Amino acid sequence: MQKSPSIPSRSSTSTQDRSSTAGQTSSTSTGPGSGSVVRRMRRIIAEDAEWSLAIVPLLTELCIQHIVKNFQNNPILKQLLPEHQKKVLNHLSPDLPLAVTANLIDDESYWRRCCTQRWPVCHVDNHGGSWKRMFFELHLENLLKHFIPNTTDPAVILNLLPLCRNYVRAIRVDQFLPPVQLPAPPRGGDQSDSGSEGEMEEPAMDHYQLDNLVAGLSHLEELDLVYGVKDCGMNFEWNLFLFTYRDCHSLAATVKACHTLKIFRLTRSKVDDDKARILIRSLLDHPALEELDLSHNLIGDRGARAAAKLLSHSRLRVLNLANNQVRAPGAHSLAHALGHNSNLISLNLRLNCIEDEGGQALAHALHTNKCLTTLHLGGNELSEPTATLLSQVLTINTTLTSINLSCNHIGLDGGKQLLEGMSDNKTLLEFDLRLSDIAQESEYLIGQALCANREAARQRALNPSHLMSPVTAKGPESPVG
Amino acid sequence: MNPPGSLGVLEEKEEEHLATPILGPSVHSDNPQERIQARRLRIAARLEARRREALGEYLDGKKESEEDQSKSYKQKEESRLKLAKLLLCGTELVTNIQVAADIREIHRRIEEEEIKRQRLEKLENEVKTSQDKFDEITIKWEEGKQRRIPQELWEMLNAQQVHCAGLIEDKNKLISELQQELKMKDDQYVKDLKKQSDDICLLLERMEEQVKNVMKTFRQELQNIEKAFEVERQELLTSNKKKWERALQAHNAKELEYLMNRIKKVEDYEKQLNKQRVWDCEEYNTIKIKLEQDVQILEQQLQQMKATYQLNQEKLEYNFQVLKKRDEESTVIKSQQKRKINRLHDVLNNLRSKYNKQVKQFQEENQSLTLDYKRLVLQFKELQKAMRHFALIDDKQFREIWLMNEEEAKDLINRAFDVDRIINTHHLGLPWMAPNFWFLKNVGPISQRQQKSTTQILEEVLMEAEEEGADQDSSESESYLDLPKQVSARTTRKILMLLCDELMIFHCLKHILILSLFFHSIFPQALGIENEDDLYKLVNFFLKYQTHHSPSSQLAIRSCSYIEAQGPLDLRAEKEGSLVDGKSQEKEPPPSPKLIHPNDVLKILEAFVMGLRKPRDFWVPVKLLKVVRDDSKDSEYWEALTTVIPATTQNLWDALYTALEKYHLVLTQRAELLIENDSLERQNTELQQLLQQYLDTKVGPGAGQDTGHRGRGGRTRGTRGGEAGHWGAGGEAGHWGARGGMILGRWGGQCRGPASAESRDTFSMDDIGE
Repeated sequence: MQKSPSIPSRSSTSTQDRSSTAGQTSSTSTGPGSGSVVRRMRRIIAEDAEWSLAIVPLLTELCIQHIVKNFQNNPILKQLLPEHQKKVLNHLSPDLPLAVTANLIDDESYWRRCCTQRWPVCHVDNHGGSWKRMFFELHLENLLKHFIPNTTDPAVILNLLPLCRNYVRAIRVDQFLPPVQLPAPPRGGDQSDSGSEGEMEEPAMDHYQLDNLVAGLSHLEELDLVYGVKDCGMNFEWNLFLFTYRDCHSLAATVKACHTLKIFRLTRSKVDDDKARILIRSLLDHPALEELDLSHNLIGDRGARAAAKLLSHSRLRVLNLANNQVRAPGAHSLAHALGHNSNLISLNLRLNCIEDEGGQALAHALHTNKCLTTLHLGGNELSEPTATLLSQVLTINTTLTSINLSCNHIGLDGGKQLLEGMSDNKTLLEFDLRLSDIAQESEYLIGQALCANREAARQRALNPSHLMSPVTAKGPESPVG
Repeated sequence: MNPPGSLGVLEEKEEEHLATPILGPSVHSDNPQERIQARRLRIAARLEARRREALGEYLDGKKESEEDQSKSYKQKEESRLKLAKLLLCGTELVTNIQVAADIREIHRRIEEEEIKRQRLEKLENEVKTSQDKFDEITIKWEEGKQRRIPQELWEMLNAQQVHCAGLIEDKNKLISELQQELKMKDDQYVKDLKKQSDDICLLLERMEEQVKNVMKTFRQELQNIEKAFEVERQELLTSNKKKWERALQAHNAKELEYLMNRIKKVEDYEKQLNKQRVWDCEEYNTIKIKLEQDVQILEQQLQQMKATYQLNQEKLEYNFQVLKKRDEESTVIKSQQKRKINRLHDVLNNLRSKYNKQVKQFQEENQSLTLDYKRLVLQFKELQKAMRHFALIDDKQFREIWLMNEEEAKDLINRAFDVDRIINTHHLGLPWMAPNFWFLKNVGPISQRQQKSTTQILEEVLMEAEEEGADQDSSESESYLDLPKQVSARTTRKILMLLCDELMIFHCLKHILILSLFFHSIFPQALGIENEDDLYKLVNFFLKYQTHHSPSSQLAIRSCSYIEAQGPLDLRAEKEGSLVDGKSQEKEPPPSPKLIHPNDVLKILEAFVMGLRKPRDFWVPVKLLKVVRDDSKDSEYWEALTTVIPATTQNLWDALYTALEKYHLVLTQRAELLIENDSLERQNTELQQLLQQYLDTKVGPGAGQDTGHRGRGGRTRGTRGGEAGHWGAGGEAGHWGARGGMILGRWGGQCRGPASAESRDTFSMDDIGE
């Protein structure tokens, strides 16, 4: 029974194959003499030399093609079956207007195509691993970067708002163009003349106001802004890098209104004490803010005092005041705040000038603080007294994992004291003492101690699950290195 | 088992730690080796101690796996440390640039600050000096205003100009200085820019280099690790292979040994088999010869046996035939016997069933008959009761009818007497005497009949009892209380018997009479016993009382039966109608003192009387029973009643009747004639009138018709008057009518008088007749 049906089927398929091949090759092919009637019939039908089953597309294919072709006018996607959706998405052009695609398409592969088409380098990891989010964030960033107040229509950005509001989580803009004052193309020559008039046109120098945009973005978490111009070349002018008070006020209001904001960065924008105070005042008691970065600005002691106040009035975890003009009083106030803080994890005061007075104050604060893990005091004119105090801290503290004291004048004795402190510490994993006038011997020994600490930390991380292979256990160590 | 292993591992680790720093690229390679070595040892020892503390038993757990794959593990650890170091150093190398830039910046800042401070000082000095100069100049201006002499003024102006020029020169100098400084700064800036770009380039270079390095080393380490694994695997494989081969060899050797053994054994067995086979063959041959001989002998024997067998067979066949026949006969007989037995059994069964049926039937019959009998007895009792009842009613009815008939007859007699009296007095004119007969005064049936005496009841009861005696004996004990009547009947009979005996023996008749009288006087009146029902009740009561109160029931029955017996006796004695003094009776002892105590009797009677009076009305009509009524006198009586009027008077009446009849006839004739006379008179008068008219009118034929007409009218009137109308009817001719009328008128006038008298007579006669 099993044999009889199998044989004819095989024969039929063979005949089909043969007939199809015959049809494709030639109509006048002299087939074998035992050719059946069916085959002859086929041969007659296959007179058309180009006829082939493969040419005729499926109806679904046709439909999908049609849908793809008319997607702009009539977007049909959700009603389709999943496999058809996939096909449609694979064939859609990345140039379709965002108004059509933004809220309709969630497929990552489509947005990936869009991104790769527009930007040669795409780091999707910077955007939470989502291509769609990346696309919108970059798109928005692009628009903001090239927005010229009073010239560009603000509707360009605001029209995008309903499309991107659910996807944009971070805005990273490293340039804000100032309004164009003169329509004359030779900008440089004129501006040197009009330099004296700059003060009169001060209000006209305001940049784009972010308040409407940020208010519209419901999931915004990160705001990374630089008020400045990139690639100005020989057209350099101080006015191009002017962060005006109006800008500052509007930004403060914007940040205050945005309750989802977690990271706020305002770098390289000539933020002085007053502006910093305005901004920080608006950030007091912010519900979500975790990281504040005001590095590369002109913040002095008053600004630092404001930041210290912010430390005790928010849940800030990371504070970065690198490359500012904080001196001993500012450090004092920060240390005072740090002594009672239980949120801050990382404090960066690189390239300030807190000196020994401020360093000692911070070291005292670290006696009581049980939260800070990273402390960067590089380039702060610190010397031996601070080192002695820090060595005491090292023996006591069990939370600090990373200290940076590079570019200071700690000296040989200070190095020795730090080594002593280090010998009793088991938690510190990083201790940067480069270019700080320490004896190489003590630096080396400190390095050994750190090595041991790292090993211990690795074992600690490994211990709860010691069956994990050592290769994977390397993971935690690699970022440390 | 753990401690040595762990220790070994630790030693290994120590070695590792000693080895790794040498293997990894070190930044401080230029340091003196011995010093480093010494410190390393120390630090490693310390680290080891720390780690031991930190890890604790964790190492023990890990130990086995380390032992197993120590080589690969070692390699991994090595690689890890190496890579960590590489990364650390690389980042340090890369960040070195940043740090360098930082320190440069710091230096720059310090310098800048210093320069700035100097510049500010300089500027301040300059400002001060220039201010002084300016003040000087301004003062001089004041002086210049006072000068009037132009030369002086010119001189002063020149001096001023010189001063100003000096001031301006100073300023210009300062400005140029500052501008120079600015230029220098610009140069510095350009230089810095260049430097920074170089730094950045270096940084990038280093980063790339680092990346490359890291990748390379990672790859290398990976390869190393893989190689180590490979080597380990190879080792493992080879060792396993060796082991396997050794085992296989041993196995092969053993196999060979087994094979050799087997071959040897097989050969041995083959030899044995051959030997056996030869031996078996010889044996087989000898046995064969022997067996053949045996076969021959046995065949001979078989032949013999066959012959005997033949013989025996014939003999047996004959016997068999004979036996067969006998058997057949016996079977026939047996079957016959069996049939007989069956038949007899059938008969027996039939008879048995018949017997049973009959027994049952008779029993049923008996039962039904007894039932019938009982029912009949009951019916009979009922019937008797009904009969008594009907007799009473018949009696009553008879009496009523009698009375009615008697009254009727007396009425008739009275009428007859009245008639007779009238006839006698009025018609005959004789004095009438009312006859006086005995029966006329009799009212109701003739008083010959009497009440049924208690004696008669007693007799009746006695008869009953005798009839039922046989049956009652059997069911006496059961129906003792239920059938008081019968009991009493029986007891009365017994009493009677006893009484008779005692009469003969103990007492004289007088005593009995007295006794009976006493009871009689008491019973009907005092005790209210009026009929036999009460009597029976009394008996019943006595029986009950006795059973309840007296210790010996047998005696009670007897006593009560005595008392009971005395009731009827005294009733019988009543017939004699003799009366005896009550006091003497009281003194008399009861006939059977030993049977019942007199006090008891009195008590019983008292109780009975109390019980009886309550439920019953005091007066109950006396019910009597007629035995046979004597109707001989009845006919006589009724005959006498019919013959109240004697035959002579009857004859007289007959004669009188006939005479009166005749008289009546005459009178009726007279009456008729009188009527006729009247009609004729009337006709006459009419005819006279007609004649008068006729005469007056002188009309011939018309008048005749008219008279005819009138005559017809007269006839109609005449029919009323009787037969006289007949005459008028036929009177078509007026003449006849007139004549006839006249005749009648005459006749009527003549016989009017006697007719009236006669009619008066007849009326009186009628009155009498009625």
